[in-house]
Amino acid sequence: MTEPPTRQESRTQFNEDWAATLIGLVLLVLVIIGVIPPGLIP
Amino acid sequence: MTQTQASVRTNVVLGVVVVLVLGAATRFLEKNVPVWFEGDVAKAVEYPVYAIVLGLIGNAVLTATGWRERLEGGFRTEFFIKTGLVLLGASINLKVIVTAAGPAIIQGILLISSVFLFTWWLAGRLGLDDKLRALLSAAVSICGVSAAIAAAGAVQARKEQLAYTASLVIAFALPSIFLVPWLASVFGLTDEVAGAWIGGNIDTTAAVTAAGALVGEDALAVASIVKVTQNALIGVVVIALTAWFAFRVERAPGARAPGIGEFWTRFPKFVLGFVAASVIATWYLGTVSGAEGKEVIAVANDLRVWFLILAFVSIGLEFKVSSLREAGWRPVAVFASAAVLNLVLALGLALLLFSGFTV
Repeated sequence: MTEPPTRQESRTQFNEDWAATLIGLVLLVLVIIGVIPPGLIP
Repeated sequence: MTQTQASVRTNVVLGVVVVLVLGAATRFLEKNVPVWFEGDVAKAVEYPVYAIVLGLIGNAVLTATGWRERLEGGFRTEFFIKTGLVLLGASINLKVIVTAAGPAIIQGILLISSVFLFTWWLAGRLGLDDKLRALLSAAVSICGVSAAIAAAGAVQARKEQLAYTASLVIAFALPSIFLVPWLASVFGLTDEVAGAWIGGNIDTTAAVTAAGALVGEDALAVASIVKVTQNALIGVVVIALTAWFAFRVERAPGARAPGIGEFWTRFPKFVLGFVAASVIATWYLGTVSGAEGKEVIAVANDLRVWFLILAFVSIGLEFKVSSLREAGWRPVAVFASAAVLNLVLALGLALLLFSGFTV
């Protein structure tokens, strides 16, 4: 008996792609508009 | 929500907390070790080393106490590295991406096709299952774990084949993180050529970033552009694999050729984020003074380092030896041979395409 195919992993990865893109860009915009100021990140 | 779902979520949160604590410890060591121990060695050890070593120690402790399997849902290497790469885009001028894209695409196409076909051929000669052949070939020629995941979806591989390939990728990537930067310095390569070699040769994106960071900022920039380009080419390989398995291997009745929609589904979207961050930062730097721009982008760089640290810690935490033992020597022999070919070819192409390139 084999394990089920790996569609689920595949799907999770695509969601992580979008999440990473969104969070990365939102953080960049927050830095540029000054919400995350210099010295805040340890 | 059932009790099982609640406990799974709790374990994921606990896993993330473990990654964050080890990440904070990495940052602490990175800042304080050079102060505690004077000398070049303490200064030369950079954050990828602390992060990976702490991840491996955490892995050993969690495995010994029986917690590793439960918490592994929180070890999100792929998510952390991709967010880190999007933020890395902010420190790379759009002009550098545009200039490097040409050689990076040529390098990517030549490397991926030759290493993929070699691995596929050798795995066939050693009698490996077609699905495992596809996973190993995609992993070693494109971008490690994420390519293996994409290929596994395309050929409907079994879970244990994916787990095995992912373990193999990390087992080879960990020593490469230290070996390739060392060889680059022995060969006296420029940072740009070293970066192109690292990006072309090392499989998994997180390890490429770790090795690039060990060489320096310019090497990291070129390595990441080369690797992001390879990531973008996953879609093409996955479509070819889907079609090959549907028509030639499984001969599914009524199978349809994959179209442009399939390409978009398989395209790694964080590549768009990486380019968008570069566009935004290049535009922003054109609107403010040099000093102000530098100070603001430094904050984005600090955030980027945090995400990369979390990814490197997760690599150490995710590493599993058990699935490697189960599959025997043949896949290891295939992967090792392909890795050597990849190492030599990537060096040749990096010298050919990136000599004279400056960031």
